[in-house]
Amino acid sequence: MYSLFNPNQMAVTPFLFFTGKGGVGKTSTACATAVALADQGKKVLLVSTDPASNLQDVLEVQLTNDPKSIPSVANLSACNIDPEQAAKAYKESVIGPYRGKLPDAVLATMEEQLSGACTVEIAAFDEFSHLLADEEILAQYDHVLFDTAPTGHTLRLLQLPTAWSGFLEDSTHGASCLGPLAGLEGKKALYKKAVDSLSDGDKTTLILVARPDNSSLLEADRASFELKEIGIKNQWLIVNGLLQTHQPEDAVSTAFYKRQRAAIEQTPEALKQVMAYSLPYVSYSLTGVENLRHLFSSYSITSFETEEGGDPLDLPGLNSVIDDFSEHNTRVIFTMGKGGVGKTSVASAIAVGLSEKGYKVHLTTTDPAAHLAYTFEGSGIRDNLSISSINPDIEVARYKETVIEQAGGGMTEEELAYLKEDLESPCTEEIALFQAFAKVVEKSENEIVVIDTAPTGHTLLLLDSTEAYHKEMSRSTGDVPDSVKKLLPRLRNPKETGVVIVTLAEATPVLEAARLEEDLKRAGIEPKWWVINQSLYATNTADAVLRGRAISEKKWIRKVDAELAEKCAIIPWLEEEKIGYDQLKEFIL
Amino acid sequence: MKKVEIFDPAMCCSTGVCGPTVDPELTRIASAVYSLEKKGFAISRHNLTDDPGAFVDNRQVNQVLVDKGPDALPVVLVNGEVVKIAEYPTTEELAEWFETAPSELQEKPRVRVSLNINN
Repeated sequence: MYSLFNPNQMAVTPFLFFTGKGGVGKTSTACATAVALADQGKKVLLVSTDPASNLQDVLEVQLTNDPKSIPSVANLSACNIDPEQAAKAYKESVIGPYRGKLPDAVLATMEEQLSGACTVEIAAFDEFSHLLADEEILAQYDHVLFDTAPTGHTLRLLQLPTAWSGFLEDSTHGASCLGPLAGLEGKKALYKKAVDSLSDGDKTTLILVARPDNSSLLEADRASFELKEIGIKNQWLIVNGLLQTHQPEDAVSTAFYKRQRAAIEQTPEALKQVMAYSLPYVSYSLTGVENLRHLFSSYSITSFETEEGGDPLDLPGLNSVIDDFSEHNTRVIFTMGKGGVGKTSVASAIAVGLSEKGYKVHLTTTDPAAHLAYTFEGSGIRDNLSISSINPDIEVARYKETVIEQAGGGMTEEELAYLKEDLESPCTEEIALFQAFAKVVEKSENEIVVIDTAPTGHTLLLLDSTEAYHKEMSRSTGDVPDSVKKLLPRLRNPKETGVVIVTLAEATPVLEAARLEEDLKRAGIEPKWWVINQSLYATNTADAVLRGRAISEKKWIRKVDAELAEKCAIIPWLEEEKIGYDQLKEFIL
Repeated sequence: MKKVEIFDPAMCCSTGVCGPTVDPELTRIASAVYSLEKKGFAISRHNLTDDPGAFVDNRQVNQVLVDKGPDALPVVLVNGEVVKIAEYPTTEELAEWFETAPSELQEKPRVRVSLNINN
């Protein structure tokens, strides 16, 4: 097993970037590292991009985007960059001056074009680059820690020569993927310096944070490869939340422990080459400076979370969700949520539950392992449940080919490179997937369709910009498939479509899910159910560490139930990966 | 010589690939405009997202937007008069306005300067 991560015993570069999907513990790991380095007497700046900024609660200081010293930790300063805020500010700077000068409907079309994930990514990079390239910052601090890293897509865009040529100001082109950069030639030197610092192993370490589970390690492997390719080669892996011991007589504790160890054994080969450390699974949540110090100084469990007051929570199980869809005759069901929350399992269980009730059901999954279809084979699968799998990689590759075929004919090499990078944008993947879903839904007119991914509001709004979709279509010669045209109005009809938001009872997953919900509401879709998955609170484990975690879940379960969800269900943490038909039925009990 | 101005709708990326559909029209019009520019003809394009000012300053275009909303884009002006609403000019129309042959208008834009951030 890995040695424990302890910044007090290692050589640390001036810049540290922590990267990983939401909920793996990037922010708390970055915070704990920052506090440890500051306690050594190093001057440390912690840069957070956490939009909800629970960092402010942790450090007990209101943060702004200017560095501020933290009273409770000598030598530590922190600032908070909210990329969403930065993107909003950029959007406002573009649109604001024209309010009242152009009709609102016209402004709305501009606004939507500037609402993509790319704008947020680039806006965040813009903020980073100031810190990375500023000599004064380097003179002032020994270490600058970022609780997130720029994506490969952003860095590649910035490295394309076309991004810096007349291409952007050329009246024949303009790309809002680089919106915040457009016309900012003056920033070229700054960005170049930032990219140089990032790829200098003496200056920067990229810390991949993952949970000890298969999907999280796969994701870390992907990020590791992508960022290595761009030249960020100095990488560490931290496997966060590793259970150190377990109670053999407690079924949940034993299963939890074994599952983690099995996942680590299956770490992708390439990732095994990366210097790896672990951090223990602890009973307390990593908030408050004392708890953060505790993480590296002593790994024993000392204190329990104090038993949180309030009545025990009693939420319905997944069977209530299924009954509800059955009762309302819902025809299309999407489960949505960030990676690692178990969207696929929940979608599969809903499909199984509905087919048990005698409905004809078609389940479509984007699970890359596609082992779902495999395990369903020969497990007493009923005639009324069919499964297809959509492989995102294949769909996206196919979509890109089509686009390059249609648009790329006769382009110069530089332009083709630019077009290809435009196609690497997050929007492309969404649109490609959405087209694939639409085909499935169209083919299943007489079945209930359950899909384990939902499009984002931004995609829907792009597809449906300013209510003028059909007009748009009759004008555009671009080819929007009929299946997509038909699906859009169905999605908006709550009688026909149900969206289920899947989350875990932890800070980041809940806050991210809340943002997903906001985004869908923007597109006129109201998610009906929230499902809290993999809940330790809903098990009766006696393991001291897991018990502590179960108690800290309560706050988030309460928040989802009281503030966020129209209706809310809970699924206990289950002992096995539920993928076969008969095991899935356990979800529904 | 005639002066042609094209006022584009808000676009995510002008290559048209970020949007919900790939519009070969965009590639075609980009090539035609580029070819004409290179030949020294007076033709210009304004993208609503990058250059909203042009849509305010041009009275004709502004009036079309007030009357018809964003669906009226693209708007095409020849010598300051609106000649097309909600569609791009065909290559033939462009050739006719500038008294040149349609086959002359197929050239792809070239990147003017190339600065490599990696060097």
